[in-house]
Amino acid sequence: MNSFALADCSTIEAALSQLKDGAIVKAGGVDLLDRMKNGTDTPARLVNIRNIPELRGIHPTPQGLTIGALTTLAEVADDSAVRSHYTVLADACGHAATPHIRNMATLGGNLLQQLQCWYYRSADFQCLRKGKDICYAFSGLNQYHAIMDYGGCPSVAPSSGAVALLALDASVELASAAKGKRTVAIRDFYLQPDSNPHSFHVMAADELLTAVHIPRPATGTRSAYQKYGEKESHDWAIADAGILLEMDGEICRRAVVAMGAASPVVRRSHEAEALLTGKPITPETARAAGQASMTGAMPLSMNAYKVQLFPAAIYRTILLAAGQMDRDPSAAG
Amino acid sequence: MATVITHSLADVILTAAADSSGAATKTVSMPIGVPGYTLHNEQRTVPASEPPVLPVNKDLDFIGKSPERWDGLAKVTGRARYTADVQLPGMLYARFVNASLPHARILSIDTSAAESHPGVKGVHVIESLLGAAVLRDPTLERTKYPIVRFAGQPVAAVAATTPQAAEEAAAKVKVKYEVLPFVVDADLAREPNAPLVFPGAADEAGTAGGGGSEGGIPQTGNIHGPAVHKKGDAEQGFKDADVIVDARYTTQVQTHSALETHGVVADWKPELLTVYASTQGTASVREELAGFFRLPKSQVRVITEYMGGGFGAKFGAGNPGVVAATLSRKTGAPVRMMLDRQEEHLSVGNRPSSDQRLRIGAKKDGTITAIQLISFGTAGCGTGAGCAGPAANLYKWASLHTEENDVFINAGPAAAFRAPGHPQGAFALEQSIDELAIRLNIDLLDLRDRIDENPVRRVQRQIIRESALWKSRNPRPNADPGPIKRGIGLSQSVWYRHLTMNCGAEVRVHKDGSVEVFSAVQDIGSGIKTVLAQILAEQFGVPPAKVSVKIGDTNYPLGPNSGGSVTTASLTPAVRDAAWQAAQKFLVSIAPALDATPGDLSLSGGSVRSASGKFQPIPFPTAAAKMNTDEVSAQAKRVPDYDPSKYDTYGGVDIAEVAVDTETGRIHVKRVLAVHDCGRPINPVQVISQINGGVIQGISYTLFEHRLLDPNYGLMVNPNLDKYKIAGSYEVPQIEVQLTESYIGQSSTDASGIGEAAGIISAGAAIGNAFYNATGVRIRQLPMTPAVVLAALNQPQPSMEAL
Amino acid sequence: MSDHQPSQKELPEAPSTAKTPAGISRRGFLKGAGITAAGTALLEGVQGFSREAVASTPQGVKEFGPESFPITLHVNGKEHSLQIEPRTTLADALRIQLNLTGTKVSCDRGVCSSCAVLLDRMPVNSCMTLAIDAVGHRITTIEGISADEQMHPVQAAFVRHDAMQCGFCTPGMVMSCVSLLERNPHPTEADVRSAVSGNLCRCGTYPKVFAATLDAASQLAIKA
Repeated sequence: MNSFALADCSTIEAALSQLKDGAIVKAGGVDLLDRMKNGTDTPARLVNIRNIPELRGIHPTPQGLTIGALTTLAEVADDSAVRSHYTVLADACGHAATPHIRNMATLGGNLLQQLQCWYYRSADFQCLRKGKDICYAFSGLNQYHAIMDYGGCPSVAPSSGAVALLALDASVELASAAKGKRTVAIRDFYLQPDSNPHSFHVMAADELLTAVHIPRPATGTRSAYQKYGEKESHDWAIADAGILLEMDGEICRRAVVAMGAASPVVRRSHEAEALLTGKPITPETARAAGQASMTGAMPLSMNAYKVQLFPAAIYRTILLAAGQMDRDPSAAG
Repeated sequence: MATVITHSLADVILTAAADSSGAATKTVSMPIGVPGYTLHNEQRTVPASEPPVLPVNKDLDFIGKSPERWDGLAKVTGRARYTADVQLPGMLYARFVNASLPHARILSIDTSAAESHPGVKGVHVIESLLGAAVLRDPTLERTKYPIVRFAGQPVAAVAATTPQAAEEAAAKVKVKYEVLPFVVDADLAREPNAPLVFPGAADEAGTAGGGGSEGGIPQTGNIHGPAVHKKGDAEQGFKDADVIVDARYTTQVQTHSALETHGVVADWKPELLTVYASTQGTASVREELAGFFRLPKSQVRVITEYMGGGFGAKFGAGNPGVVAATLSRKTGAPVRMMLDRQEEHLSVGNRPSSDQRLRIGAKKDGTITAIQLISFGTAGCGTGAGCAGPAANLYKWASLHTEENDVFINAGPAAAFRAPGHPQGAFALEQSIDELAIRLNIDLLDLRDRIDENPVRRVQRQIIRESALWKSRNPRPNADPGPIKRGIGLSQSVWYRHLTMNCGAEVRVHKDGSVEVFSAVQDIGSGIKTVLAQILAEQFGVPPAKVSVKIGDTNYPLGPNSGGSVTTASLTPAVRDAAWQAAQKFLVSIAPALDATPGDLSLSGGSVRSASGKFQPIPFPTAAAKMNTDEVSAQAKRVPDYDPSKYDTYGGVDIAEVAVDTETGRIHVKRVLAVHDCGRPINPVQVISQINGGVIQGISYTLFEHRLLDPNYGLMVNPNLDKYKIAGSYEVPQIEVQLTESYIGQSSTDASGIGEAAGIISAGAAIGNAFYNATGVRIRQLPMTPAVVLAALNQPQPSMEAL
Repeated sequence: MSDHQPSQKELPEAPSTAKTPAGISRRGFLKGAGITAAGTALLEGVQGFSREAVASTPQGVKEFGPESFPITLHVNGKEHSLQIEPRTTLADALRIQLNLTGTKVSCDRGVCSSCAVLLDRMPVNSCMTLAIDAVGHRITTIEGISADEQMHPVQAAFVRHDAMQCGFCTPGMVMSCVSLLERNPHPTEADVRSAVSGNLCRCGTYPKVFAATLDAASQLAIKA
């Protein structure tokens, strides 16, 4: 890694005062150190926020739940309130990466992790997202890339946490010294590649992601997340599903079908959701929803299999959320 | 308690004779075959100096039992020191500068900025590169610097006081390249107008692990081949066939990915070059360093206390070894060079791919009339893709025609990898044999009974046949309704009793009753230390944990390089012979105190015994105190096998149960039953660990691993361990191992190796055949990723009706 | 593709052409930040920073590096003083400076967990942890797992079950399994698989790691 100075901050205010001149925030450091060791990122200055107590903790609020950005994925997954009422988030955090990484990686860092595209992660390839105007995946190796909504960059959304938070209609809280606090819904937080190839999200360089706010789900809500890889021990998702079902007795009043590994930005499938709404959840409706989720899919040269895999991931996670199926042995363990 | 076996010279020798060289021989009776099945006695003529015949394991005290791994404590406490842990005073850290172009000519290298970087003590520009194939006619390419033939090829190196300084300085070395046309797709490389990797014919030497290619193979463009082997008339053989199975199989490039990367600590002093190496062959490292630097071997010492896996890639000094030694000489300081994970994937070896066309002709009764295998595979800018071993050696055939071709591409050179060529070849062969059985409506095991003459595999197939797992198999494919389909498939493996004759050991006995064994052999994880301790334990009665085992240092007698699964087979007879000879010297040294003649004395069951009954048995430690000298020692070399005419291949049979998720494309391997032999197993628990390892690595090869090169830029896109995917804890099946003791009457320990024979060779076809049993679909491509599985399940399948 | 031969212009730069790191020099930062006298805030849970290393900075900010500075690490029950840079990983600090080489580095990306240590008894990848982030926390390495001369029951069980081969993954595996038993004294095999799902082993020790850990759990239960 390159040599750098580190500004260790004990308050949010202190951290905000350091976000200038190219300084980069370090929380758990899991994604950042990976990029620095690969040589794609060479910041001269890191702003260490790991020791800011206000950024930790899971707090119930009148509206629902607030999770400090520094809360680790393991802490999120182990929290009883999250497991009971925000299960999709416990699932996503609890099956990310490895147990060791979950002990260090933070929810904020998980949401802000950069693309996992192997061209992007390599110092040898300067692509669209790094300021050039070429993408190497389209005519190269793209078996793990996107099948829809990709515009000029077919990477997939890397954060399982973001899929779960989209399903929960959560928001992130951002703070800056200049502009104070603002809240941005997850559905508005990430940028489509064609709108701004060089940024993945709307957060400014002088802003810090301080917390995640999750509205309390309606009574009778059931949710689940499953991630599918080529193997179950520590693999990146080739398909995933974040499902939230607002149940009114047997009838599903409202459904959210969210995906991460299909597109550059976490997305919902309204086609799939429409097939679940107003009906009981059955294997048939779940399968139909799964198929509908692939509406508009335009696979690349090597990833057509995802068009078959996603419907399975989705229907099984719908049934898991509905309590009609156990956790899938083919999903990340 | 083992039967006490008294030996005096009179008992043992059935007939004394002199062999043709004049050395005295004796004829002895040895156990042969599989206990419980085929065990019987046969005579062998052996050198008269050989120790008495070892009985079968059940009659022994320490051999054939499973004392705890000798260095287990050191490994679980972190006290074991690997090359990456060696720290010498004043040690410098070295890093390579690697080319990131797949094919280029180096025009200039400017190291001045690197040399003046703080902390840098020395730089080196590589002028001769090891590992890749070498032009037969070097005049075709007269360049100052080696041509860059793969992205990741090292071109220079720096040594500095800290790893960070070395990394920073390496980035400051300025290399000017002329870009050359490259090719990384093996199919494209075969085309007539493909960019040439070499301007002429080139060959890569094999190593102690195998790999490489025969000499004198023709080369056309990038195609190095064919290496042709013909036996009988295959064309006629196919005409004679009632049924022909003909299919194409492809397998991927796999990287060894041992957890400890390649590396050395080199300490060049005027009188001695000492190198700590993560190696499978201390002898091979010393050999290569002595040759490269034109040093007498006596001035090169190689030390490997512990090493973190090799799987075939770690023979010789390699570029890390010679460059670190060079920098040590230049700087006057010890230099540690450990590769990083990316370099490990790119530059120090891999298992070649294969593209095989396999044709098998057979009679209605299953007799094979002809086997034809035409294979292409890429070993990058090296050679060694041949995979005809299983086709040639597993089954009886009337005619054989194999043609093996290496295809050069601009990628890192291959290195021998755990049973080179055999996982690839068995993946094809054992699926085609299954297909044959199905076409002929012959039971899968019965067909193999007809065509496999190996007596031990016959026993092993019987064990499979009688196993609960095999009996639970539904012979009708695609029998399960619903998306999860279960299937069970089998595959055999074949391996060979390779030997290294050039090895020996020394045993010392001390007056205080302590015993030691010395060998330059290294322990690559198979547990040779424990095995050596057990052999001494059997001779002296000292518990294995108390035997002092000193290995991994070329100061000790020459040890075998751990490749080809030779270690146990080659070294243990030498160790036993040395222990026996030391015991005889020990008896001579205590005879006076016991007022006995040495001929009356024997040492067995942990006690000194008098054949004439002069005294009650004396425990060894007590007897040792009576030595008339402080120490006796004996050195012994491996003597040749007793009767190579009786050689057979060995191997085993594996069955795998899979649950195929037909909607996600995941193949879950649920259970494996692995039935294998390794001659006399000296430590069964350690053998089982090895077999587990082969099975799991085989599953990983079959389902997950793939060295991926971007087709447009020739760079590896997954030189790490998250996108180069290795089986983890969730991917491990329940594995049951049945060890078949198999005595072959060839040496004083009668042990063979297991590292390659078991698991790695058969996983692919066992899973492929299980997949067919589960789904009625056959996959002939590796790795079997979800993409491959789903595509295969989508294809309409030709029906495989029996005749 | 054979019709696309990258020209020298298109190809990425060879890494030998040095890229200067982005960002500004330290001197530039100090000029811009308006240095005042150092605050004396002692951060909760972050004891051990040497005062000498702290430059004068705005309140709530402590400046470190890029040059080396002294820290104290609490490792296996003992305090250790050492010099690190901000970029020094915990793995390197342990292995190189403290000569605790039982912790291994293999993938250097937090994927294989050969480098696993316990940070406040939780398993983390030391290769992906900055040493400075470990200050004020209790670090336990493989060398600190056993009490005096007695092996930890997990270590003893590993030896009994032959749960090691080359041994390179073994320290990381032991750390993960020790931590599992501290949090879950009655694990199932599935729990053990989960606990080591971040530990890669190339020799295939997994089955015996599972058996050893379950055995160690039952041994600990007997003792309890």
